[in-house]
Amino acid sequence: MAKQKKAATPKSGDKFTRWLVIGMVTLVVATGAIFSVISQKAKAEESFAALKGFKPGPAITAKVDTANGSGILLDTGASKNLDLWEDPQCPICNDFEKANGAYIDDLVRNKKANVTFHVVSFIGDESVSAANAEYCAADEGHYLDFHKAVYLVQPALENSGFFTTKNLIKIGSNVGLTSQSFIDCVTKVSKLDQVKAAYDSMTKYNVKGTPTVFINGKLWQRKNSAFVLDEFSAAVEAG
Amino acid sequence: MKKFNAQYQSIITLIARLVVGGVLLVAGGLKAFKPSEAASAVAAYKILPNNIAHVIGYALPWLEIAVAILLIIGLSARFAAIVSGAIMVVFVAAIISVWARGLLIDCGCFGGGGAIDPAKAAEVHRTYFLEILRDLGLALLSLYLYFFPYGRLSIEKPAKINEEQ
Repeated sequence: MAKQKKAATPKSGDKFTRWLVIGMVTLVVATGAIFSVISQKAKAEESFAALKGFKPGPAITAKVDTANGSGILLDTGASKNLDLWEDPQCPICNDFEKANGAYIDDLVRNKKANVTFHVVSFIGDESVSAANAEYCAADEGHYLDFHKAVYLVQPALENSGFFTTKNLIKIGSNVGLTSQSFIDCVTKVSKLDQVKAAYDSMTKYNVKGTPTVFINGKLWQRKNSAFVLDEFSAAVEAG
Repeated sequence: MKKFNAQYQSIITLIARLVVGGVLLVAGGLKAFKPSEAASAVAAYKILPNNIAHVIGYALPWLEIAVAILLIIGLSARFAAIVSGAIMVVFVAAIISVWARGLLIDCGCFGGGGAIDPAKAAEVHRTYFLEILRDLGLALLSLYLYFFPYGRLSIEKPAKINEEQ
């Protein structure tokens, strides 16, 4: 195909127009992108409002149970065992947490069950960052608080730039995790090995999605489509 | 064919500019004010590291809008056609990549985006196919505009038309 001839403007004017247009396009794109980043930041700030007045509970010693899929074990010495499989970015896990989170906290804090949290990260990079921070919080004895806070601020969209190092540290500071060791652990992604091991163990335990719950090693299957506290607590009591 | 093109080129160019520009304007406009959606949608392709994907998610809608305006008013249409053609080729490559890796996502082309329930695999694959066709069509129109950027209702005019008028 023969190209159409250039515009009638003289050569120098043509070049000027081209650069002017390229400059304008760059300006529009740059301004737009900056606007987007700023509104994104403002939105993140808003979600932190959910952590206002958060009261962290007393510290609980946690250990990583390498024999059990590198899950975070809160060993209370009770006879009942609960295994929870969750991804920090999974919205249905958040529904589960809203319905049953307080009950599970009570099981741990009042030593009614040993609970292992298998923090898996199949939703993407930001799940890995958040899972790492959860392991860091477990080290500091504040797994339950941090876990709850992550769900309180969880954005509706996955991998949308919310679970950054900075924001994870900020979540920590809102629940009393201000120690340098926690900050370093989050910044250096120190728990990557455990995070990977936990994710890889999904196949071994035949866990296909989250949330998945095992009560005394038996897979819990809900009958209601929504999570109902009574149904869950009855299943746990029956064990 | 040559004669047909000579006769109707200015109208074909106008239609191509409006179609490509219109689609880009809608696509960009729907995403520009939902930055987290756009960022999440680009990240869902799992091609780039998250932070780079997010920058693209923030910037791409605005690039689409800027190019769309150039095409619609007919200013630097050849330059705009190169950019829109390149964007379409990248989109096609991205969708093929996602399809080949077996990921099930919403392209986020017009807002939305992210992972999709595995139960809808067949439906998603059909959508991928249609999206590739659509983007290839837009790439072809951009190619036409590269060769024939000047037409009706265009701010810029080529030398020849100006002489005739």
